Amino acid sequence: MRLVLTGDDRIGVLRDGGMVDVTDAFADIRYRTAADRMPRVLATFQERRPRLEEMAATGETLPVPELQPPVPRPPKLIAAFGNYREGSDRERQTQDMFLESPDSVIGPNGTVVLPNHPATIFHHEAELALVVGQRAKDLPADERSLEALAGYTCAIDISARGMGRIGPSRIGKSFDTFTPLGPAIVTIDEVPNPQDLHVTLTVNGEPRQDYTTRDMEYSVVEVLAFISSYMTLVPGDVILCGTNHQGLGALQDGDHVEMTVAGIGTLNVSVRDPQRRQWPRGIDEEMAARQRAVGAS
Amino acid sequence: MRIAAFDDARIGVVANDDTVVDVTDLLQPYEPLGPEDLLPDLITHFDELRPELEQRAAAGNGKPLDNVRLRSPLTRPSKIICLMGNYREGTDRPLQILDLFFKSPEQISGPGDTVVLPPHQANIFHHEGEIAVVVGREAKDLSADEAMDAVFGYVAYNDISARGLGRTGINSFLGKSFDTFAAFGPWIVTKNEIPDPQSLSITVDVNGERRQDYSTTDMERPVPELLTYISSVTTLHPGDVICCGTNHQGLGSVQDGDAVVTTVTGIGSFTVHVRDEHERAWQRGIDREAGERVKAAAQHPVAQVSGGSA
Repeated sequence: MRLVLTGDDRIGVLRDGGMVDVTDAFADIRYRTAADRMPRVLATFQERRPRLEEMAATGETLPVPELQPPVPRPPKLIAAFGNYREGSDRERQTQDMFLESPDSVIGPNGTVVLPNHPATIFHHEAELALVVGQRAKDLPADERSLEALAGYTCAIDISARGMGRIGPSRIGKSFDTFTPLGPAIVTIDEVPNPQDLHVTLTVNGEPRQDYTTRDMEYSVVEVLAFISSYMTLVPGDVILCGTNHQGLGALQDGDHVEMTVAGIGTLNVSVRDPQRRQWPRGIDEEMAARQRAVGAS
Repeated sequence: MRIAAFDDARIGVVANDDTVVDVTDLLQPYEPLGPEDLLPDLITHFDELRPELEQRAAAGNGKPLDNVRLRSPLTRPSKIICLMGNYREGTDRPLQILDLFFKSPEQISGPGDTVVLPPHQANIFHHEGEIAVVVGREAKDLSADEAMDAVFGYVAYNDISARGLGRTGINSFLGKSFDTFAAFGPWIVTKNEIPDPQSLSITVDVNGERRQDYSTTDMERPVPELLTYISSVTTLHPGDVICCGTNHQGLGSVQDGDAVVTTVTGIGSFTVHVRDEHERAWQRGIDREAGERVKAAAQHPVAQVSGGSA
């Protein structure tokens, strides 16, 4: 099942290229904003699923309207440090993660606004994203942990480089609009193997990133076990699984970005830079080589 | 005004006679979805609530503080924003680059609560006493002039930190995001009662032994500059909290059975207890090596370290 949140706060299930409105199935859930609401919707999703299935099967299919991010402001936005082998056969790196501002999330067809900060470059990082469906702590590193998920979606972890203190800084990933998310939360039963997903990203139609989640250093269940050994996960939390840095490139004013995780969805955003800065177009090969070197050391 | 959380999801005003007056009922008209909405609602509607809050506090019908169980005044902020090292620590070096990280807002500790050390193989667990700023309204791109308008008040904070986890060469901040590792108390003091946040004393005592003892006069970037910078990055919301960083001279271990008292002048004191099922032991007293290491590292604020991008 593919769950979406529309621009006018309706909840829908995608079907046959359209959407069935299932808002009524969640009519009893009190909320004040879409950000409040989706964690509560996700927390009760499993128990309502039979009814949702029925509504999706029998309801009228409407054209898919403008969408919000499926979780407009996640309770927590958590991201994995470099978590791909990137073509090397090195030992796995020490597992590590960090938090980003949950206010950085935007939805499908949104606009990434590059801030007036002196970044050396702004990169796209296409990633598989996990959406938490149940409160969870100390999950095991096996299939059982997937039950804590509402499902998967696509994310672009926009990254301003050269910001803050060299080494520890992750501030350049937390600017408002820097985490496009969506379009739909795809439930785990629709994804037979999360370690065999093809991730692509193009900028203005030009191929940039193209990798598979087979290359992930720490698998989805290992990511879940690790982060839940630190902190309680709650419904609506979003976990970004990291990117493969081979294929990153600059984003700049007027760019159109499209990313796809095969079987999960396609997410489009545009880029606006009031300062109209320019960088070389195409893949940032220097960045890619630097990341391979890290892996090799 | 002092705003406290107490007992079972109650919000109160701490009156001058050291009683706490329950004002939770005044927040019901805003239809909170849960206890986590109470404080943000009070902050958002503070101007309209203020006369009634003051009247109740003056009426003298409060419960003695000794008879209530104080909780973290912040129940579940939407963001905990922490400054990376933001004190000069006795050096006269140039200002470091302003930088920050986010800490998990889950399972916060408050007065009388217990910080639980996880089984992870940390080198040590440190206390970091700090002052924290509670955000008063939604804010983005604040100018220097309007920065203080976005402050609701201040709270004492202890940023419990596991060291030595994560990747070598990249400072990892995840060791600060274990459940129970963010401790706030004893209550929020509104900004009108703290005319100058840059002249406060902060102390941390562990089992009665003085560890940290420093002044916010030594802060590298003062509160208004923090707000201006942070709001140039991310939208702030009422009840978000900005932890101003610690002075690392005076850090020490926390371990099983410890009682950690964090005090900020003009705000107050609160205690958290420490539990470690593994009963690991570290040297007691001040960790001078950690203090020296931070001073040395800060002399070279932009030294390149090897490491990858996230």
